[in-house]
Amino acid sequence: MNILAFSQYERADWVRLGCLVAAILLPFTPLANEYVLHTCILIFLYMILALGLNVVPGFNGLLDLGYVGFYGIGAYTAGLLTVHYGLSFWVILPLAAINGAIWGVLLGAPTLRLTGDYFAIVTFGFSELVVLFITNETWLTRGPLGLPGIDPPSIDLSWLGGPVIWLEGDSLGVYYLVMALVLVTLFVMYRIQNSRLGRAWFAIRDDELAAVSCGINLLVYKVIAFAISAAFGAVAGAFYARWVTVISPDAFLFWESFFILCMIVLGGLGNIWGVMLGAAILVSLGEVLREILPLLGLPENSRFLFYGLLMVVMMRLRPAGMLPIAAVAAQMKTTSKRRLAWFKKKGSAA
Amino acid sequence: MFLELLINGITLGGIYALIAVGYTMVYGVIQLINFAHGEIYMLGAFFALTFISAFNMPFFVAFALSMGCAAICGMLLDVVAYRPLRNSPRLAALITAIGMSIFLQNLAMIIWGSRPMPFPQEHLPAYFNQTAFVVGETPISWLQAYIFICTIVFMAGLNLIIHKTKVGKAMRAVAQNKTMAALVGINVNQVITVTFALAGALGAAAGILVGAYYNSVYPLMGYIAGVKAFAAAVLGGIGSVPGAMLGGFILGIAEALGAGYLSSLYRDGISYAVMIAVIIFIPAGLFGKIIRETKKSM
Repeated sequence: MNILAFSQYERADWVRLGCLVAAILLPFTPLANEYVLHTCILIFLYMILALGLNVVPGFNGLLDLGYVGFYGIGAYTAGLLTVHYGLSFWVILPLAAINGAIWGVLLGAPTLRLTGDYFAIVTFGFSELVVLFITNETWLTRGPLGLPGIDPPSIDLSWLGGPVIWLEGDSLGVYYLVMALVLVTLFVMYRIQNSRLGRAWFAIRDDELAAVSCGINLLVYKVIAFAISAAFGAVAGAFYARWVTVISPDAFLFWESFFILCMIVLGGLGNIWGVMLGAAILVSLGEVLREILPLLGLPENSRFLFYGLLMVVMMRLRPAGMLPIAAVAAQMKTTSKRRLAWFKKKGSAA
Repeated sequence: MFLELLINGITLGGIYALIAVGYTMVYGVIQLINFAHGEIYMLGAFFALTFISAFNMPFFVAFALSMGCAAICGMLLDVVAYRPLRNSPRLAALITAIGMSIFLQNLAMIIWGSRPMPFPQEHLPAYFNQTAFVVGETPISWLQAYIFICTIVFMAGLNLIIHKTKVGKAMRAVAQNKTMAALVGINVNQVITVTFALAGALGAAAGILVGAYYNSVYPLMGYIAGVKAFAAAVLGGIGSVPGAMLGGFILGIAEALGAGYLSSLYRDGISYAVMIAVIIFIPAGLFGKIIRETKKSM
């Protein structure tokens, strides 16, 4: 395929390309200041998280309420390895991913045999246990005091004879670093969803019985999905730890899981572009609400009131999200209508 | 020590049992984990607190009134949030349940503030903190005895409703097969709403008792208690009312003993660990049957 044959692109492709170019150029426009860059880094971080979470509810149709557990595992893996062993960011990233994936397999293998509801509640329990562990095992994690003194991300050019660049307080460098991570995540997700693996997941999501009949091993494919999702959660956690340099357990509470779930529901379950859009919208909205709520005399955390309402309204009116994909939309929306039609037909025949 | 922990555990267990019954009843009729149930429990406690401190109502009047209000909340929850999604995939209903839970939590936080509020002790019956009787060397307060009696009475009442009344029969029918129930003339939606009302009332009772027992009511109280009670429902076998009662007591006792002998830091962790272990090793629970997904998972 010749990627320069422009006629093959749809309008959506040009929009995506435009967004990418805009994101690359943003730091050089007059809009850019420290606050804007910080918000954008946050958006990119949540994009990785949302893309990672999307694998389980979006691609497999299973509700995962404990995603933040893997985020926390990744962050503490990175934090501890940096503080105790001084490993480089680029070594830690895959190590965190592997650790996340291991926990994903350990948790997923016994529980993914069960129905979706049980799975949801087990993941919730798991993430609570992770937070309890981090809070209580003070010998390892320093507990609620937080783990300080984590080095910022670095780019090591010494093997080329160049310097080691520490991205400390360097929003611009971190901005491009995390953008690169988003692009890698996006590339992986894009390739996976068009692979044999992705097709198997979609089959499971659309109809488990039919998928089994086609010879898809449900448990294996679900565990793979859960492990991949966990690995990306852990990567995001590792980046987070190196970026903020101080981590504490209260960054990994259930609220975070819910926030990320909101993003993928708003953007469109199963649509990688949609969940990125959802992340961008909700992080920006969060920043806006942070300014507005105190003016109304409300505590800052009450912004979750809107997110909760948003979820209920979305499920009622547009359950497949802002950028729906056809399969999810068909399932989520027309079930009731299809049944109604069936009853009517039966009624008239009788 | 052991006896004291055991008594604490039974008190706590009774409360978990009351909440767990709400989860299990709703799951029985519509196969939905009603995540917002913990929030109804929290609202019940706040209602009672408000009735007592703002309107100077006697404790028992406030208790009954809050149960009624929580029942209405439960019905509203069903009608507004869940009924439109009755035929939607499970994922949609679960996400709505989570959304409602978070919404109600934050609503309570906005209305009553996020800091724990003490239960007005001067309005509670004075004998609550006096010793009712002594077992071994451990004194049991009237409040503890009252919690235990309440649990037993409500459970017995619930059993009567389920097994001896027409509504109860309709509930059992709907739990077995919604289509068949509709065919024999049962108003399925109405029965489901009544189930939510019953669950809400029992949850509120638990919330008020906890508020009085620990002397603190706060918006996040439903979040942890809800999950623990769900663990109790799972332990008993979800969908089974006697199972939920037994599960509640077992979990309460396990938690009290675990906190006493193992580590109080992992107090909440014990419930989560029990829940995960039960789900992995005996997913049917003590009294339940293995649930097969009748609908597609999404």
